[in-house]
Amino acid sequence: MNAARPSLDRNFLNRFGILIALIALALVLSVTTDSFASASNLTNVARQVSINGILAVAVTFVLLTGGVDLSLGSVVALSGVVCALFAHPGEYPLVVPISMGLITGALCGLLNGVLVTWGGIAPFIVTLGMMTMARGLALIFSSGKPVADMTPSLTNLAGDLGPVPIPVLCFAFVALLAWFFLGRFRLGRHLYAVGGNEQAARAAGVSVTKVKLFAYGICGLLTGLAGVVLAARITTGQPNAGQAYELDAIAAVVIGGTSLSGGVGSIRGTILGVLLIGIINNGLDLQGVSSYYQAVIKGLIIVGAVWLDRRQSRS
Amino acid sequence: MRPTPRLAIGSMLAVLTIFSFFLSGCKKPAERKEGEILIGFSSRDLSAEYTAKLSEAIVEYAKTKPGVKLVMVDAQSDVQKQFSQVENFVAQKVDAIILNPCELEASTPAVDYVKAAKIPLVLVNQVTKSAGDSYIGSNDFEAGRIAMEAIAKKLNGQGGVLMIHGIMGTSAQLQREAGAREVFAKYPGLKLIDQQTASWDRAKAMALTENWIQAHKGKFQAVFAHNDEMAMGALLALERAGIKKDVTVIGIDAIAQALTAVKEGRLDATVFQDAVGQGRGSVDAAILLARKQPCPKENLIPFQLVTLENLSSFLK
Repeated sequence: MNAARPSLDRNFLNRFGILIALIALALVLSVTTDSFASASNLTNVARQVSINGILAVAVTFVLLTGGVDLSLGSVVALSGVVCALFAHPGEYPLVVPISMGLITGALCGLLNGVLVTWGGIAPFIVTLGMMTMARGLALIFSSGKPVADMTPSLTNLAGDLGPVPIPVLCFAFVALLAWFFLGRFRLGRHLYAVGGNEQAARAAGVSVTKVKLFAYGICGLLTGLAGVVLAARITTGQPNAGQAYELDAIAAVVIGGTSLSGGVGSIRGTILGVLLIGIINNGLDLQGVSSYYQAVIKGLIIVGAVWLDRRQSRS
Repeated sequence: MRPTPRLAIGSMLAVLTIFSFFLSGCKKPAERKEGEILIGFSSRDLSAEYTAKLSEAIVEYAKTKPGVKLVMVDAQSDVQKQFSQVENFVAQKVDAIILNPCELEASTPAVDYVKAAKIPLVLVNQVTKSAGDSYIGSNDFEAGRIAMEAIAKKLNGQGGVLMIHGIMGTSAQLQREAGAREVFAKYPGLKLIDQQTASWDRAKAMALTENWIQAHKGKFQAVFAHNDEMAMGALLALERAGIKKDVTVIGIDAIAQALTAVKEGRLDATVFQDAVGQGRGSVDAAILLARKQPCPKENLIPFQLVTLENLSSFLK
């Protein structure tokens, strides 16, 4: 138990670094703008981060195993298009378009998993291929045009339930489930084991193939969910949507202290990372910062937050 | 144990490569008939609704022309990819190229390359720094002016305006902005409250407008978006916030969804850019040039403001 103490403190500091950055940023924005700290704007931020949030939780599973998924953005577009194709008013009950979007995402994820495990191809390459393929399929299925005419019962899912936007509820539900799963379930802990040391995990009797298939499959399923939420939000299935979403998601996860080499990380950190990126985007728009500067500032804050985090955890 | 799978993959790749060479090697030249005009067309991005409409018009119209074969490729908004496509057309010795350039500056080398190869070149919908043999398009400056003028009229020359830009540096963005600025100069009561790019993207424009609603609520009465995709994003954000009735939203392009939104009384207006007119004009020009017949250097298809009053003539 004594040996576990230092690593516990380190984890605490790990979280602390990002939290400081987050609080500092929120304080600065509350002082410099009169709109940031309002309830309606905070709801607004929550709504805007929910898609990136779902994707970040999704890719956390894969990053924990030491893999990576670059196909998130394209799979979001593909799932959104498939969902929209089944969502024309009066054609199918609501559950059909939603499940079709989820299934599409899950299939893409499972295919990634199969190619990584049984195919033995590096995740970077496999998911790079999927990124191109899914984008192409999205364009084929939609004939290159946005799929419009979606039933209001689906697009209403991007609306509010009482005071809370439904996409935020989706994100919260997904995050809670993932947090519970990674902490309490054996398969969840196996994800860490595989990412930490694959050989050791295998020697300990963990089925590495099963664990990885699961990670990529879940990642795909949640990406499908993000695609459905996005389609509902913009009321169309856009084949060109989701460009570079994977980068925002991976950035959020890494800011949250998850290691790109696997085995280390937490859902809590991912959520903080997602919030940090979301607040930066929102704050810069509120401040009326020109888009040229926005890009530079965003990059600096991302690198700065991670640097602060690493410094904290070393000291 | 290592060499075996590598050898297997290596030989598989080799077979695939040979196979693809075989396919590409025997297919294209064989299809080309004697005396037939072959036109290469590189579209900027088939996933953008306006460009898709324009490209469809070009392909369909070319089919109605006897003795003309048109090959279309999609550059997916990638300047580099488009340059390679143009290089391939030149290597195939096509009789004319229709180019729908990705960008004003960055696509200029591709235009120069075609000119150096002395292949007739028609630019459609977007100009580059170097001119082609013919340009078919619409003056984006006019579109910006028409849209902003409609906003000024609606607000009686008084009020706050938000402007959502396209991808910065594209000729459509630059000229639509310039056209709008002319209107701002004319009406001193019209104030530009804030402006930002949403890269022609609906989801980005929606998030941007949500943020603006937080920052400038009550201070703006109109949103001018450089295209309809972004106008639809702004519209959705305003509707969800329940303040659409206080804000005029106008976009450009008259895409199908925007026309429907005008019909439903949600979008105030859009500016019609004649995709079919541009498409047909560019095919006609390419055929004239390929046959070495005289062809006008420029053919400008006019823009029109679409509102609820004149909508019926634009709905197919």
